[in-house]
Amino acid sequence: MSKPNDLVLGTLDLLLLKILALQPLHGWAIGLRLRSLSNDVLQVSEGSLYPALHKLEQEGWICSEWKVTENNRRAKFYALTRLGRQQLESEAENWKRLSTAISHVVQLTEA
Amino acid sequence: MRIAHWFYTVPLRLRSLFRRETVESELEEELRFHLDHAVAEGLAKGLSPAEARRKALLALGGPELRRDDIRDARRVSWLLDFAADLRFASRSLRRTPVASAVVVVTLAFGIGMTATPFSMLDALILRPYPVPQPGEIVTLVGTTRDEGYAMFSYREYLDLRDRTRSYTGVVAQTGMRPVSFAADATATPRVKSGVLVSGNYFATLGVEPSAGRGFLAEEDAVPGRNPVTVVAHDFWTTELGGDPAAVGRTIRLNGEDFTVVGVAPESFPGMTIFNRPDVYVPLAMARRFSGDAARDFFEHRDARQLRVMARLAPGVGPSEAGGEVAALAAAFRREYPRESRGREAAVKTAFEVRTRGDANEWKFSVVFTVLGIGVLLVASTNVAGLLLSRARSRTREVAVRLALGAGRSRLVRFLLAESLILAGLGGALGVVVAYGGITYLREFDIPAELPVTIPFQLDGRVLAASLLIAGATALLCGLAPALQSTRADLVVGLKAADVEPPGRKRLWGRSALVVAQVALSLMLLASTFLMARSFRESVGSGLGFPMERLLAVRFDPRLVQYDADRTRHFYDQLLQRVEGAPGVLAASLAANPPLSIEGFDALSFVPDGYDLPEGRESFVSASDVVDARFLGTIGVPLVRGRAFAESDAADAPRVAIVNETFAERYWPGDDAVGKRIRLGGADGEPLEIVGIAQTVSFGEPGERRRDFVYLPLAQHPRPRLVLLVRTAGDPLQLVEPLREIVRAIDPNLPMLATRTIEDLYRYHAVEGPAIAVEMCGTMGVVGLLLAVTGLYGLVAYNVSRRTKEIGIRMAIGATPATALRLVMANGLALVGIGTVLGLALGVGVEKVLIASIFDAGGIDFVTYLVVVPALVAATVVAAWLPARRATRVAPTLALRHD
Repeated sequence: MSKPNDLVLGTLDLLLLKILALQPLHGWAIGLRLRSLSNDVLQVSEGSLYPALHKLEQEGWICSEWKVTENNRRAKFYALTRLGRQQLESEAENWKRLSTAISHVVQLTEA
Repeated sequence: MRIAHWFYTVPLRLRSLFRRETVESELEEELRFHLDHAVAEGLAKGLSPAEARRKALLALGGPELRRDDIRDARRVSWLLDFAADLRFASRSLRRTPVASAVVVVTLAFGIGMTATPFSMLDALILRPYPVPQPGEIVTLVGTTRDEGYAMFSYREYLDLRDRTRSYTGVVAQTGMRPVSFAADATATPRVKSGVLVSGNYFATLGVEPSAGRGFLAEEDAVPGRNPVTVVAHDFWTTELGGDPAAVGRTIRLNGEDFTVVGVAPESFPGMTIFNRPDVYVPLAMARRFSGDAARDFFEHRDARQLRVMARLAPGVGPSEAGGEVAALAAAFRREYPRESRGREAAVKTAFEVRTRGDANEWKFSVVFTVLGIGVLLVASTNVAGLLLSRARSRTREVAVRLALGAGRSRLVRFLLAESLILAGLGGALGVVVAYGGITYLREFDIPAELPVTIPFQLDGRVLAASLLIAGATALLCGLAPALQSTRADLVVGLKAADVEPPGRKRLWGRSALVVAQVALSLMLLASTFLMARSFRESVGSGLGFPMERLLAVRFDPRLVQYDADRTRHFYDQLLQRVEGAPGVLAASLAANPPLSIEGFDALSFVPDGYDLPEGRESFVSASDVVDARFLGTIGVPLVRGRAFAESDAADAPRVAIVNETFAERYWPGDDAVGKRIRLGGADGEPLEIVGIAQTVSFGEPGERRRDFVYLPLAQHPRPRLVLLVRTAGDPLQLVEPLREIVRAIDPNLPMLATRTIEDLYRYHAVEGPAIAVEMCGTMGVVGLLLAVTGLYGLVAYNVSRRTKEIGIRMAIGATPATALRLVMANGLALVGIGTVLGLALGVGVEKVLIASIFDAGGIDFVTYLVVVPALVAATVVAAWLPARRATRVAPTLALRHD
């Protein structure tokens, strides 16, 4: 699997927050969801996933809860908190500004 | 927003700290869950179970590493690591218990001996006034040519209060004075201490009474109108039974009924350091307590008994206030030329007041704190040396850790853990040492006439300071070795167990340590000797009069409201009966006894016909008012002329007796008898000098020779006098018979401070200096022990380092003596440098001590003749003992030594 490039790594937090905004999930499901939502373009390596999740939890943007899955197994489900929602909005805003600016520069016609 | 954030994250972090196992197992479970799903996915794609597992593990990237990453994300890892470091460090320290114990004890002494004088320093200089916003409180002082901290009179205080704008309030208080107290009219009066204060005292200072209220402004408005009092907390608990209904009660002070309107809080013991008043009374009641009968307290501008303090208004600084008060003083000089001539005024901060030049206690505390820090430095350098050699033996371990990927800062922290434990234990033990030292100081009994409280205590501030010192010590001791050993060259470190970290710098470090230790301990010991010698000298010189079998008893008939006639009658009766009592050789009355803690009167005068130097209005001399029998009772020889006689009565021509120093100073080469001096100024009342007495030490043993003037009691009557009795036997045997005599004259009159002059002498000459010398000596000895052990450690270390080299040399024919020389030369050279440095330091310290405290003349060579050889001898032995081991090295063993 190709390593996600730097830009996507930096926005991992944003992506995770958004996914959890849609619905509370456990770690494995988050990875699946991200792949499916982006049509396999965005693949987060498991190595970065869990540290990122724990960091988000430490910051208070997501909270966790041990629940039972459909297969009757215990898993740690993450959900967005109120603080996290605020953070999501501000990060989404930043991303929009950034990506607009980048697109604008890249789309300039060369002389 | 941030707070809400914390609400969530803090419990999480705490959970990571304290419920670690739970958190770890949860993490384990989470990752396993993930792994299982990844394997399931692999299986679904058609891989074999083993391959699916391998692929999943690869993707996860190694659970252990992941777990570490996750733990780091939890941001409490440094705390956990630190705890682990501490555990490891304590284990390794326990492996060398003796060395560790020695270090802890050494540090404990250093810390304790710094904290003890620091408590003195804190009490004397640093502790703020016990009122809110103490930084705003300043003291207003008058200054003359001779006095830097003069008091003000009542009229001057009123002007200062009303004619200045720099303050939110100006208060005044008198010095502490004895007050006769009786719970009611029938009780026998006892002596307590009291202070007169202005009506705005408690309000301006911001002191909230714990019961009742402070004074009101109108209670201080009319002299004698409002007999109210505020009592101190301790007085309220001991004398009034801590009764909440005490407010509103009347008590008898100096024979008059006073109403208790309030109780001062326990947190307010008074504004002076050593005196704690029992009762506070408004200034308006001064006639009841006045110290000077001759001059009216309220009217006379030159009846100066008040200490004036003020709270600065917001935005006003001391210099601004100082300018204003100086201008006011100039106005005084214009408006009252006679009383205010030559008087300026100034504003002094608390610090300035406490560090005034004429007080010695604070100087001592500064000197001892500095010396204590000196000892602490020596101890720290010693410990640092020890830690350095320990670090050296762990070079391999450090290299391994570095190779495994530990960051340098992480390693430094790890090595610091050791010194932190040592310093922590040393600090704890040091607090115990300090407690002992402070208790020892507090038992010191100062024989003053009113109870003196020694305010040193092991309070929070001193404790905090000690812990700070301990922490700084830890850093000091541990940082250098830690930094150094982590600089090691990895490859070399891994190969050899005992490796020399690169660079000559390291040798510099250790050598400098030894030099510093030797120098510091030399300085400490030299200072001790100097102090001991100069004290002994000042004591050995004697007083000039026999001090044994001399009893001093203080009386103050004003406590029972005697007028001038009754006072005179009382004293006449007293003398008559005492002289007739068995065991009494002589008795006399005086205003102040010899060696009195309170000192003597200051007399300003002008020798008749003397040419005063420019700008001077008068001279000042110490003086005392004595009766005709004084010189005989004390045993001061008369050199010329005569003593006072019955003929020098109240209506006779005014006379005085001066001492030799006085006569020499003003009439050198001439006979002073028959000359006149004028009291107060060039046109003051003239006194004829009728006798010259030998100069004796009245103030302190070994004091500089100073002027003294004796005035006859009959011509300068005083109510408050001391009865001096020369006895045939033990003076204390006379106390009970004396009490009977006084009781026969008036059962209500209390006998105030009763002590022998010998006691006072012992206090001045022995106990005070003894403490100073003991402290300094202890520090010096401890310092020497430290230096010696430090040197021992260094030489032993050198030996171990060069064992291989020595073995080779001996194998090719070097004699044991050569080996000895090889190893010791370096150490002895360091001792030499240290001695030279120590001498320089010692001389410097001596100069400072001489300038500020002692009267010793010149550099004391004897001290150095004793101390230096002793130090050198000790250090040579310390170097020789381990060096001897080098000579016994078997060459084969040495060659194999790795």
